[in-house]
Amino acid sequence: MGRSRKYLVIVSFVLLSLLVVSIVFFHYRAYLLLSLIMIAAIMIPFFARFEWRDVGGREVVLLAMLAAIAAVGRVPFAGLPSIQPTSFIIIMAGLVFGAESGFIVGAVAAIVSNFFLGQGPWTPWQMYAWGMMGMTAGLFRNTAFMRTLWGKCTFGFVWGYIFGWFMNTWVIVGNIEALSWKYVAGIFASSIYFDLAHALSNVFFIVIFGASWMKILQRIQRKYGLLYEQPG
Amino acid sequence: MGNGIQAIHPFVMFFYYSCLGFFAMFFNHPIFLLAGCLALIGVNLSHDGGQAMKQWTPLMMTMTVLIIVVNPLINSRGTHVWFDLFGKQVTLEVMLYGVVTAMSLLMILLLFVSLNIVLNGNKLLYIFARILPRTAFLIMMSIRFVPLLKRRLTEIQDVQRLKGMTMTQGTLRERAKSGMSMLQILLSWSLEEAVETADSMKARGYGSGTRCPYIPYRMTKSDKRWLSYLLVAFVICGTGGLLGYGKIIIYPELGTLHLSLLDWVVFACGMAVALFPVFVEGREQLKWNYSI
Repeated sequence: MGRSRKYLVIVSFVLLSLLVVSIVFFHYRAYLLLSLIMIAAIMIPFFARFEWRDVGGREVVLLAMLAAIAAVGRVPFAGLPSIQPTSFIIIMAGLVFGAESGFIVGAVAAIVSNFFLGQGPWTPWQMYAWGMMGMTAGLFRNTAFMRTLWGKCTFGFVWGYIFGWFMNTWVIVGNIEALSWKYVAGIFASSIYFDLAHALSNVFFIVIFGASWMKILQRIQRKYGLLYEQPG
Repeated sequence: MGNGIQAIHPFVMFFYYSCLGFFAMFFNHPIFLLAGCLALIGVNLSHDGGQAMKQWTPLMMTMTVLIIVVNPLINSRGTHVWFDLFGKQVTLEVMLYGVVTAMSLLMILLLFVSLNIVLNGNKLLYIFARILPRTAFLIMMSIRFVPLLKRRLTEIQDVQRLKGMTMTQGTLRERAKSGMSMLQILLSWSLEEAVETADSMKARGYGSGTRCPYIPYRMTKSDKRWLSYLLVAFVICGTGGLLGYGKIIIYPELGTLHLSLLDWVVFACGMAVALFPVFVEGREQLKWNYSI
Protein backbone atom coordinates (compact mmCIF):
# COMPACT_ATOMS: atom_id res chain seq x y z
CA MET A 1 0.00 0.00 0.00
CA GLY A 2 2.65 2.47 1.04
CA ARG A 3 4.54 2.16 -2.18
CA SER A 4 1.55 2.49 -4.49
CA ARG A 5 0.44 5.54 -2.53
CA LYS A 6 3.81 7.17 -3.12
CA TYR A 7 3.60 6.37 -6.84
CA LEU A 8 0.18 7.87 -7.00
CA VAL A 9 1.29 11.14 -5.44
CA ILE A 10 4.24 11.30 -7.85
CA VAL A 11 1.98 10.58 -10.83
CA SER A 12 -0.45 13.29 -9.88
CA PHE A 13 2.38 15.81 -9.46
CA VAL A 14 3.86 14.88 -12.84
CA LEU A 15 0.45 15.19 -14.43
CA LEU A 16 -0.07 18.58 -12.83
CA SER A 17 3.32 19.94 -13.93
CA LEU A 18 2.73 18.66 -17.47
CA LEU A 19 -0.56 20.52 -17.57
CA VAL A 20 1.05 23.71 -16.29
CA VAL A 21 3.82 23.40 -18.87
CA SER A 22 1.30 22.86 -21.64
CA ILE A 23 -0.52 26.05 -20.67
CA VAL A 24 2.63 28.14 -20.49
CA PHE A 25 4.48 26.93 -23.56
CA PHE A 26 1.91 25.78 -26.11
CA HIS A 27 -0.60 28.52 -26.55
CA TYR A 28 -3.41 26.11 -26.01
CA ARG A 29 -6.91 27.51 -26.17
CA ALA A 30 -9.08 25.27 -24.04
CA TYR A 31 -8.26 26.75 -20.64
CA LEU A 32 -11.54 25.78 -19.01
CA LEU A 33 -11.10 22.16 -20.10
CA LEU A 34 -7.51 22.15 -18.85
CA SER A 35 -8.47 23.68 -15.52
CA LEU A 36 -11.12 21.02 -14.93
CA ILE A 37 -8.64 18.24 -15.72
CA MET A 38 -6.11 19.90 -13.43
CA ILE A 39 -8.48 20.06 -10.48
CA ALA A 40 -9.45 16.42 -10.98
CA ALA A 41 -5.75 15.50 -11.07
CA ILE A 42 -5.05 17.35 -7.84
CA MET A 43 -7.93 15.63 -6.06
CA ILE A 44 -7.05 12.08 -7.20
CA PRO A 45 -4.52 11.29 -4.43
CA PHE A 46 -6.93 12.30 -1.65
CA PHE A 47 -9.75 10.13 -2.89
CA ALA A 48 -7.36 7.26 -3.65
CA ARG A 49 -6.02 7.43 -0.12
CA PHE A 50 -9.56 7.23 1.22
CA GLU A 51 -10.20 4.16 -0.97
CA TRP A 52 -7.11 2.34 0.25
CA ARG A 53 -7.11 3.33 3.88
CA ASP A 54 -8.49 0.91 6.41
CA VAL A 55 -11.86 2.52 7.10
CA GLY A 56 -14.63 0.67 8.92
CA GLY A 57 -18.35 0.78 8.25
CA ARG A 58 -19.00 3.02 11.24
CA GLU A 59 -16.51 5.59 10.05
CA VAL A 60 -17.93 5.69 6.54
CA VAL A 61 -21.44 6.24 7.90
CA LEU A 62 -20.18 8.94 10.27
CA LEU A 63 -18.42 10.80 7.45
CA ALA A 64 -21.54 10.52 5.29
CA MET A 65 -23.63 11.92 8.12
CA LEU A 66 -21.28 14.86 8.68
CA ALA A 67 -21.27 15.69 4.96
CA ALA A 68 -25.08 15.45 4.88
CA ILE A 69 -25.40 17.78 7.89
CA ALA A 70 -23.03 20.25 6.23
CA ALA A 71 -25.17 20.13 3.07
CA VAL A 72 -28.50 20.32 4.92
CA GLY A 73 -27.20 23.22 7.04
CA ARG A 74 -28.14 25.48 4.18
CA VAL A 75 -31.84 24.69 4.68
CA PRO A 76 -32.71 26.62 7.89
CA PHE A 77 -30.54 29.50 6.69
CA ALA A 78 -32.30 29.84 3.34
CA GLY A 79 -33.96 33.02 4.61
CA LEU A 80 -30.67 34.72 5.50
CA PRO A 81 -28.79 35.67 2.35
CA SER A 82 -25.16 34.49 2.00
CA ILE A 83 -25.01 33.18 5.56
CA GLN A 84 -24.51 29.44 5.59
CA PRO A 85 -22.97 27.18 8.22
CA THR A 86 -21.53 24.67 5.73
CA SER A 87 -18.01 26.05 5.98
CA PHE A 88 -18.20 26.11 9.77
CA ILE A 89 -19.25 22.45 9.95
CA ILE A 90 -16.47 21.44 7.54
CA ILE A 91 -13.87 23.33 9.59
CA MET A 92 -15.11 21.64 12.78
CA ALA A 93 -14.90 18.19 11.13
CA GLY A 94 -11.33 18.94 10.03
CA LEU A 95 -10.34 20.21 13.47
CA VAL A 96 -11.61 17.13 15.30
CA PHE A 97 -11.18 14.27 12.83
CA GLY A 98 -8.02 15.35 11.01
CA ALA A 99 -6.95 16.44 7.55
CA GLU A 100 -8.11 13.48 5.49
CA SER A 101 -11.57 13.28 7.01
CA GLY A 102 -11.87 17.05 6.68
CA PHE A 103 -11.15 16.86 2.97
CA ILE A 104 -13.67 14.06 2.42
CA VAL A 105 -16.43 15.84 4.36
CA GLY A 106 -15.84 19.09 2.46
CA ALA A 107 -15.67 17.57 -1.01
CA VAL A 108 -18.67 15.28 -0.47
CA ALA A 109 -20.75 18.09 1.04
CA ALA A 110 -20.17 20.09 -2.16
CA ILE A 111 -21.29 17.22 -4.42
CA VAL A 112 -24.29 16.34 -2.30
CA SER A 113 -25.64 19.87 -1.97
CA ASN A 114 -25.25 20.30 -5.73
CA PHE A 115 -27.31 17.19 -6.38
CA PHE A 116 -30.19 19.20 -4.93
CA LEU A 117 -29.20 22.67 -6.14
CA GLY A 118 -27.97 21.62 -9.61
CA GLN A 119 -24.62 20.33 -10.81
CA GLY A 120 -22.54 22.53 -13.08
CA PRO A 121 -19.00 23.37 -14.12
CA TRP A 122 -18.61 24.96 -10.69
CA THR A 123 -18.98 21.63 -8.83
CA PRO A 124 -15.28 20.55 -9.04
CA TRP A 125 -14.16 24.01 -7.90
CA GLN A 126 -16.47 23.93 -4.90
CA MET A 127 -15.37 20.40 -4.08
CA TYR A 128 -11.77 21.47 -4.15
CA ALA A 129 -12.26 24.68 -2.16
CA TRP A 130 -14.34 23.10 0.60
CA GLY A 131 -12.15 20.00 0.64
CA MET A 132 -9.06 22.15 1.11
CA MET A 133 -10.82 24.12 3.84
CA GLY A 134 -11.38 20.91 5.81
CA MET A 135 -7.91 19.64 5.09
CA THR A 136 -6.05 22.76 6.20
CA ALA A 137 -8.15 22.87 9.36
CA GLY A 138 -6.95 19.34 10.08
CA LEU A 139 -3.34 20.08 9.19
CA PHE A 140 -3.02 23.07 11.49
CA ARG A 141 -5.14 21.76 14.34
CA ASN A 142 -2.21 20.91 16.60
CA THR A 143 -0.37 24.19 16.22
CA ALA A 144 -0.39 26.57 19.15
CA PHE A 145 -2.02 29.20 16.96
CA MET A 146 -5.08 27.10 16.11
CA ARG A 147 -5.62 26.04 19.69
CA THR A 148 -6.57 29.57 20.66
CA LEU A 149 -9.99 31.00 19.90
CA TRP A 150 -8.37 33.93 18.09
CA GLY A 151 -6.47 31.58 15.84
CA LYS A 152 -9.61 29.68 14.87
CA CYS A 153 -11.48 32.91 14.16
CA THR A 154 -8.68 34.22 11.96
CA PHE A 155 -8.64 30.90 10.15
CA GLY A 156 -12.40 31.04 9.51
CA PHE A 157 -12.22 34.66 8.38
CA VAL A 158 -9.35 34.06 5.98
CA TRP A 159 -11.01 30.99 4.49
CA GLY A 160 -14.21 32.94 3.89
CA TYR A 161 -12.21 35.11 1.52
CA ILE A 162 -10.09 32.35 -0.02
CA PHE A 163 -13.24 30.39 -0.83
CA GLY A 164 -14.80 33.38 -2.55
CA TRP A 165 -11.63 34.14 -4.51
CA PHE A 166 -11.33 30.56 -5.57
CA MET A 167 -14.89 30.55 -6.87
CA ASN A 168 -14.09 33.79 -8.74
CA THR A 169 -11.22 32.15 -10.55
CA TRP A 170 -13.52 29.78 -12.35
CA VAL A 171 -15.29 32.74 -13.89
CA ILE A 172 -11.93 34.23 -14.85
CA VAL A 173 -10.53 31.01 -16.29
CA GLY A 174 -13.61 30.67 -18.49
CA ASN A 175 -12.75 34.00 -20.08
CA ILE A 176 -8.99 34.05 -19.73
CA GLU A 177 -8.02 35.76 -22.96
CA ALA A 178 -9.75 38.87 -21.75
CA LEU A 179 -7.44 38.86 -18.75
CA SER A 180 -6.59 42.34 -17.60
CA TRP A 181 -6.22 43.95 -14.19
CA LYS A 182 -9.42 45.90 -14.63
CA TYR A 183 -11.39 42.74 -15.39
CA VAL A 184 -9.99 40.79 -12.46
CA ALA A 185 -10.49 43.74 -10.11
CA GLY A 186 -14.08 44.12 -11.33
CA ILE A 187 -14.90 40.47 -10.62
CA PHE A 188 -13.30 40.58 -7.19
CA ALA A 189 -14.96 43.87 -6.28
CA SER A 190 -18.37 42.47 -7.18
CA SER A 191 -17.95 39.64 -4.69
CA ILE A 192 -16.55 41.64 -1.75
CA TYR A 193 -19.87 41.87 0.09
CA PHE A 194 -20.61 38.13 -0.25
CA ASP A 195 -17.11 37.16 0.83
CA LEU A 196 -17.30 39.46 3.81
CA ALA A 197 -20.64 37.96 4.87
CA HIS A 198 -19.19 34.47 4.50
CA ALA A 199 -16.09 35.36 6.52
CA LEU A 200 -17.98 37.15 9.27
CA SER A 201 -20.55 34.38 9.63
CA ASN A 202 -17.70 31.88 9.97
CA VAL A 203 -16.22 33.97 12.78
CA PHE A 204 -19.62 34.39 14.44
CA PHE A 205 -20.31 30.65 14.44
CA ILE A 206 -16.82 29.78 15.67
CA VAL A 207 -17.03 32.23 18.56
CA ILE A 208 -20.47 31.13 19.75
CA PHE A 209 -20.70 27.46 18.76
CA GLY A 210 -17.10 26.36 18.12
CA ALA A 211 -16.43 24.98 21.60
CA SER A 212 -19.72 23.10 21.97
CA TRP A 213 -19.54 21.53 18.49
CA MET A 214 -16.00 20.36 19.06
CA LYS A 215 -17.10 18.85 22.36
CA ILE A 216 -19.94 16.90 20.70
CA LEU A 217 -17.68 15.59 17.94
CA GLN A 218 -14.87 14.68 20.35
CA ARG A 219 -17.32 12.83 22.54
CA ILE A 220 -18.44 10.66 19.61
CA GLN A 221 -14.81 10.10 18.68
CA ARG A 222 -13.87 8.99 22.19
CA LYS A 223 -17.01 7.03 22.95
CA TYR A 224 -16.83 4.82 19.87
CA GLY A 225 -13.10 5.09 19.12
CA LEU A 226 -13.71 6.42 15.61
CA LEU A 227 -11.64 8.30 13.07
CA TYR A 228 -8.45 8.74 15.02
CA GLU A 229 -5.85 9.92 12.54
CA GLN A 230 -3.73 7.00 11.44
CA PRO A 231 0.01 7.56 11.37
CA GLY A 232 1.62 7.51 7.90
CA MET B 1 -35.96 2.09 -16.19
CA GLY B 2 -37.99 4.30 -18.53
CA ASN B 3 -37.73 4.30 -22.27
CA GLY B 4 -36.10 6.31 -25.00
CA ILE B 5 -33.02 8.10 -23.75
CA GLN B 6 -33.64 7.00 -20.14
CA ALA B 7 -33.19 3.36 -21.15
CA ILE B 8 -29.72 3.90 -22.61
CA HIS B 9 -26.89 2.51 -20.48
CA PRO B 10 -25.30 5.12 -18.15
CA PHE B 11 -21.83 4.54 -19.58
CA VAL B 12 -23.02 5.47 -23.06
CA MET B 13 -24.67 8.61 -21.76
CA PHE B 14 -21.62 9.54 -19.73
CA PHE B 15 -19.45 9.14 -22.81
CA TYR B 16 -21.88 11.31 -24.77
CA TYR B 17 -21.72 14.13 -22.21
CA SER B 18 -17.93 13.97 -21.91
CA CYS B 19 -17.62 14.19 -25.71
CA LEU B 20 -19.94 17.16 -25.88
CA GLY B 21 -18.26 18.97 -22.99
CA PHE B 22 -14.95 18.40 -24.72
CA PHE B 23 -16.29 19.85 -28.00
CA ALA B 24 -17.69 22.92 -26.24
CA MET B 25 -14.28 23.79 -24.84
CA PHE B 26 -12.20 22.54 -27.79
CA PHE B 27 -13.72 24.08 -30.93
CA ASN B 28 -14.02 27.82 -31.25
CA HIS B 29 -15.57 28.37 -34.66
CA PRO B 30 -18.76 30.39 -34.07
CA ILE B 31 -20.82 28.29 -36.47
CA PHE B 32 -19.75 25.07 -34.72
CA LEU B 33 -20.67 26.47 -31.32
CA LEU B 34 -23.96 27.95 -32.50
CA ALA B 35 -24.93 24.62 -34.02
CA GLY B 36 -23.89 22.88 -30.79
CA CYS B 37 -26.11 25.18 -28.71
CA LEU B 38 -29.06 24.68 -31.05
CA ALA B 39 -28.55 20.91 -30.99
CA LEU B 40 -28.53 20.91 -27.18
CA ILE B 41 -31.69 23.01 -27.08
CA GLY B 42 -33.23 20.37 -29.35
CA VAL B 43 -32.00 17.63 -27.03
CA ASN B 44 -33.53 19.39 -24.02
CA LEU B 45 -36.81 19.81 -25.87
CA SER B 46 -36.82 16.09 -26.61
CA HIS B 47 -36.42 15.28 -22.89
CA ASP B 48 -39.29 17.20 -21.32
CA GLY B 49 -40.41 19.85 -23.76
CA GLY B 50 -37.98 22.39 -22.30
CA GLN B 51 -39.41 22.46 -18.75
CA ALA B 52 -36.04 22.32 -16.99
CA MET B 53 -34.44 24.63 -19.52
CA LYS B 54 -37.02 27.32 -18.75
CA GLN B 55 -35.86 27.59 -15.12
CA TRP B 56 -32.30 28.20 -16.19
CA THR B 57 -33.10 30.66 -18.99
CA PRO B 58 -32.68 33.89 -16.93
CA LEU B 59 -29.23 32.83 -15.70
CA MET B 60 -28.09 31.75 -19.14
CA MET B 61 -29.39 34.89 -20.85
CA THR B 62 -27.80 37.32 -18.37
CA MET B 63 -24.49 35.46 -18.54
CA THR B 64 -24.40 35.45 -22.33
CA VAL B 65 -25.32 39.12 -22.66
CA LEU B 66 -22.93 40.12 -19.88
CA ILE B 67 -19.93 38.42 -21.47
CA ILE B 68 -20.67 39.84 -24.92
CA VAL B 69 -21.19 43.38 -23.58
CA VAL B 70 -18.43 43.49 -20.99
CA ASN B 71 -15.68 41.98 -23.14
CA PRO B 72 -15.24 45.01 -25.48
CA LEU B 73 -15.21 47.40 -22.49
CA ILE B 74 -12.26 45.80 -20.77
CA ASN B 75 -10.29 44.64 -23.74
CA SER B 76 -9.05 46.33 -26.87
CA ARG B 77 -6.85 43.80 -28.56
CA GLY B 78 -7.11 43.01 -32.25
CA THR B 79 -6.54 44.96 -35.44
CA HIS B 80 -9.87 45.41 -37.24
CA VAL B 81 -11.42 48.47 -35.60
CA TRP B 82 -15.19 48.33 -35.86
CA PHE B 83 -16.42 51.49 -34.13
CA ASP B 84 -15.58 53.86 -31.29
CA LEU B 85 -17.48 53.66 -28.02
CA PHE B 86 -16.83 56.26 -25.34
CA GLY B 87 -13.38 56.82 -26.79
CA LYS B 88 -12.55 53.11 -26.74
CA GLN B 89 -11.90 51.21 -29.91
CA VAL B 90 -14.14 48.20 -30.28
CA THR B 91 -12.49 45.71 -32.55
CA LEU B 92 -14.06 42.93 -34.53
CA GLU B 93 -11.80 40.42 -32.82
CA VAL B 94 -12.97 41.39 -29.34
CA MET B 95 -16.63 41.18 -30.33
CA LEU B 96 -16.13 37.77 -31.88
CA TYR B 97 -14.14 36.52 -28.91
CA GLY B 98 -16.94 37.56 -26.56
CA VAL B 99 -19.49 35.75 -28.70
CA VAL B 100 -17.38 32.59 -28.87
CA THR B 101 -16.74 32.52 -25.10
CA ALA B 102 -20.39 33.17 -24.31
CA MET B 103 -21.58 30.41 -26.63
CA SER B 104 -19.06 27.95 -25.29
CA LEU B 105 -20.23 28.57 -21.72
CA LEU B 106 -23.87 28.51 -22.81
CA MET B 107 -23.31 25.12 -24.43
CA ILE B 108 -21.79 23.75 -21.21
CA LEU B 109 -24.72 25.03 -19.13
CA LEU B 110 -27.24 23.53 -21.55
CA LEU B 111 -25.33 20.28 -21.34
CA PHE B 112 -25.64 20.25 -17.57
CA VAL B 113 -29.37 20.96 -17.74
CA SER B 114 -29.77 17.85 -19.87
CA LEU B 115 -27.36 15.87 -17.69
CA ASN B 116 -29.37 16.66 -14.57
CA ILE B 117 -32.43 15.16 -16.26
CA VAL B 118 -30.91 12.06 -17.83
CA LEU B 119 -27.99 11.04 -15.62
CA ASN B 120 -29.76 11.45 -12.31
CA GLY B 121 -28.13 10.56 -9.00
CA ASN B 122 -28.43 6.81 -9.25
CA LYS B 123 -26.91 6.52 -12.72
CA LEU B 124 -24.08 8.94 -12.03
CA LEU B 125 -23.14 6.97 -8.93
CA TYR B 126 -23.37 3.69 -10.86
CA ILE B 127 -20.59 5.02 -13.09
CA PHE B 128 -18.37 6.19 -10.27
CA ALA B 129 -18.90 3.06 -8.20
CA ARG B 130 -16.65 1.25 -10.68
CA ILE B 131 -13.78 3.69 -10.28
CA LEU B 132 -14.07 4.83 -6.65
CA PRO B 133 -16.34 2.30 -4.90
CA ARG B 134 -16.03 3.59 -1.35
CA THR B 135 -16.32 7.26 -2.26
CA ALA B 136 -19.39 6.53 -4.39
CA PHE B 137 -20.92 4.58 -1.50
CA LEU B 138 -20.21 7.47 0.86
CA ILE B 139 -21.82 9.98 -1.50
CA MET B 140 -24.83 7.74 -2.08
CA MET B 141 -25.35 7.36 1.64
CA SER B 142 -24.94 11.08 2.23
CA ILE B 143 -27.58 11.83 -0.41
CA ARG B 144 -29.91 9.41 1.31
CA PHE B 145 -29.38 11.22 4.63
CA VAL B 146 -30.42 14.60 3.25
CA PRO B 147 -34.21 13.99 3.16
CA LEU B 148 -33.99 12.23 6.53
CA LEU B 149 -32.18 15.17 8.09
CA LYS B 150 -34.66 17.60 6.58
CA ARG B 151 -37.49 15.68 8.24
CA ARG B 152 -35.69 15.69 11.56
CA LEU B 153 -34.99 19.39 11.21
CA THR B 154 -38.70 20.20 10.79
CA GLU B 155 -39.41 18.11 13.86
CA ILE B 156 -36.80 20.03 15.84
CA GLN B 157 -38.13 23.34 14.57
CA ASP B 158 -41.66 22.42 15.65
CA VAL B 159 -40.52 21.59 19.15
CA GLN B 160 -38.26 24.61 19.49
CA ARG B 161 -40.98 26.96 18.32
CA LEU B 162 -42.91 26.09 21.49
CA LYS B 163 -39.89 27.25 23.46
CA GLY B 164 -39.94 30.50 21.52
CA MET B 165 -36.91 29.87 19.33
CA THR B 166 -37.64 30.76 15.71
CA MET B 167 -35.78 31.68 12.56
CA THR B 168 -38.47 34.09 11.42
CA GLN B 169 -38.23 36.79 14.08
CA GLY B 170 -35.55 38.84 15.75
CA THR B 171 -32.31 40.40 14.63
CA LEU B 172 -29.96 38.76 12.18
CA ARG B 173 -27.75 37.74 15.06
CA GLU B 174 -30.55 36.09 17.01
CA ARG B 175 -31.86 34.26 13.98
CA ALA B 176 -28.44 32.94 13.04
CA LYS B 177 -27.93 31.84 16.63
CA SER B 178 -31.20 29.94 16.89
CA GLY B 179 -30.63 28.36 13.47
CA MET B 180 -27.30 27.06 14.64
CA SER B 181 -28.70 25.74 17.91
CA MET B 182 -31.16 23.66 15.91
CA LEU B 183 -28.32 22.31 13.80
CA GLN B 184 -26.47 21.44 16.98
CA ILE B 185 -29.44 19.40 18.22
CA LEU B 186 -29.58 17.75 14.82
CA LEU B 187 -25.87 16.96 15.03
CA SER B 188 -25.88 15.24 18.40
CA TRP B 189 -29.07 13.34 17.51
CA SER B 190 -27.86 12.18 14.12
CA LEU B 191 -24.32 11.17 15.05
CA GLU B 192 -25.52 8.65 17.62
CA GLU B 193 -28.05 7.38 15.10
CA ALA B 194 -25.31 7.04 12.48
CA VAL B 195 -23.35 4.63 14.65
CA GLU B 196 -26.50 2.56 15.13
CA THR B 197 -27.10 2.50 11.37
CA ALA B 198 -23.55 1.32 10.82
CA ASP B 199 -23.94 -1.50 13.34
CA SER B 200 -27.13 -2.74 11.70
CA MET B 201 -25.38 -2.55 8.32
CA LYS B 202 -22.59 -4.68 9.67
CA ALA B 203 -25.06 -7.19 11.13
CA ARG B 204 -26.56 -7.60 7.67
CA GLY B 205 -23.17 -8.26 6.11
CA TYR B 206 -21.73 -4.93 4.95
CA GLY B 207 -18.16 -5.39 3.78
CA SER B 208 -18.35 -9.19 3.55
CA GLY B 209 -18.07 -9.22 -0.23
CA THR B 210 -17.88 -6.98 -3.27
CA ARG B 211 -20.75 -4.56 -3.60
CA CYS B 212 -23.14 -4.74 -6.52
CA PRO B 213 -25.38 -1.91 -7.73
CA TYR B 214 -28.97 -1.66 -6.58
CA ILE B 215 -30.31 -1.25 -10.12
CA PRO B 216 -28.49 -3.56 -12.51
CA TYR B 217 -28.01 -1.66 -15.75
CA ARG B 218 -27.22 -4.04 -18.58
CA MET B 219 -25.23 -3.20 -21.68
CA THR B 220 -27.52 -4.38 -24.47
CA LYS B 221 -26.69 -4.89 -28.12
CA SER B 222 -28.20 -1.56 -29.10
CA ASP B 223 -26.20 0.18 -26.35
CA LYS B 224 -23.02 -1.24 -27.81
CA ARG B 225 -24.05 -0.14 -31.29
CA TRP B 226 -24.73 3.40 -30.10
CA LEU B 227 -21.44 3.48 -28.22
CA SER B 228 -19.41 2.47 -31.25
CA TYR B 229 -21.31 5.03 -33.32
CA LEU B 230 -20.41 7.76 -30.82
CA LEU B 231 -16.83 6.56 -30.61
CA VAL B 232 -16.25 6.68 -34.37
CA ALA B 233 -17.78 10.13 -34.70
CA PHE B 234 -15.80 11.40 -31.71
CA VAL B 235 -12.48 10.09 -33.03
CA ILE B 236 -13.05 11.78 -36.38
CA CYS B 237 -13.88 15.06 -34.65
CA GLY B 238 -10.93 14.79 -32.29
CA THR B 239 -8.39 14.18 -35.04
CA GLY B 240 -9.99 16.92 -37.13
CA GLY B 241 -9.74 19.32 -34.23
CA LEU B 242 -6.10 18.43 -33.55
CA LEU B 243 -5.30 19.13 -37.22
CA GLY B 244 -6.88 22.55 -36.81
CA TYR B 245 -10.29 22.08 -38.42
CA GLY B 246 -13.26 23.71 -36.72
CA LYS B 247 -11.05 26.32 -35.10
CA ILE B 248 -10.30 29.92 -35.92
CA ILE B 249 -7.52 32.27 -34.99
CA ILE B 250 -8.89 35.34 -33.23
CA TYR B 251 -5.90 37.13 -31.69
CA PRO B 252 -3.73 38.93 -32.71
CA GLU B 253 -5.52 39.15 -36.06
CA LEU B 254 -8.74 37.49 -37.13
CA GLY B 255 -8.12 34.53 -39.44
CA THR B 256 -10.51 33.30 -42.08
CA LEU B 257 -14.01 32.18 -41.13
CA HIS B 258 -14.31 30.19 -44.33
CA LEU B 259 -15.18 26.52 -43.90
CA SER B 260 -13.39 24.05 -46.15
CA LEU B 261 -14.76 20.65 -47.16
CA LEU B 262 -12.90 18.91 -44.33
CA ASP B 263 -14.29 21.45 -41.88
CA TRP B 264 -17.76 20.41 -42.96
CA VAL B 265 -16.87 16.73 -42.44
CA VAL B 266 -15.81 17.50 -38.85
CA PHE B 267 -18.94 19.60 -38.43
CA ALA B 268 -21.19 16.76 -39.61
CA CYS B 269 -19.54 14.29 -37.23
CA GLY B 270 -19.86 16.74 -34.35
CA MET B 271 -23.55 17.13 -35.10
CA ALA B 272 -23.92 13.36 -35.30
CA VAL B 273 -22.62 13.18 -31.72
CA ALA B 274 -24.57 16.16 -30.39
CA LEU B 275 -27.93 15.02 -31.77
CA PHE B 276 -27.57 11.44 -30.53
CA PRO B 277 -30.40 11.67 -27.91
CA VAL B 278 -32.73 13.16 -30.54
CA PHE B 279 -31.96 10.22 -32.83
CA VAL B 280 -32.70 7.75 -30.05
CA GLU B 281 -36.02 9.38 -29.21
CA GLY B 282 -36.90 9.81 -32.88
CA ARG B 283 -36.18 6.17 -33.65
CA GLU B 284 -38.41 5.12 -30.79
CA GLN B 285 -41.22 7.42 -31.96
CA LEU B 286 -40.99 6.06 -35.51
CA LYS B 287 -41.09 2.49 -34.27
CA TRP B 288 -44.06 3.22 -32.01
CA ASN B 289 -46.10 5.00 -34.66
CA TYR B 290 -45.26 3.28 -37.91
CA SER B 291 -44.16 -0.29 -37.26
CA ILE B 292 -46.55 -3.07 -38.00
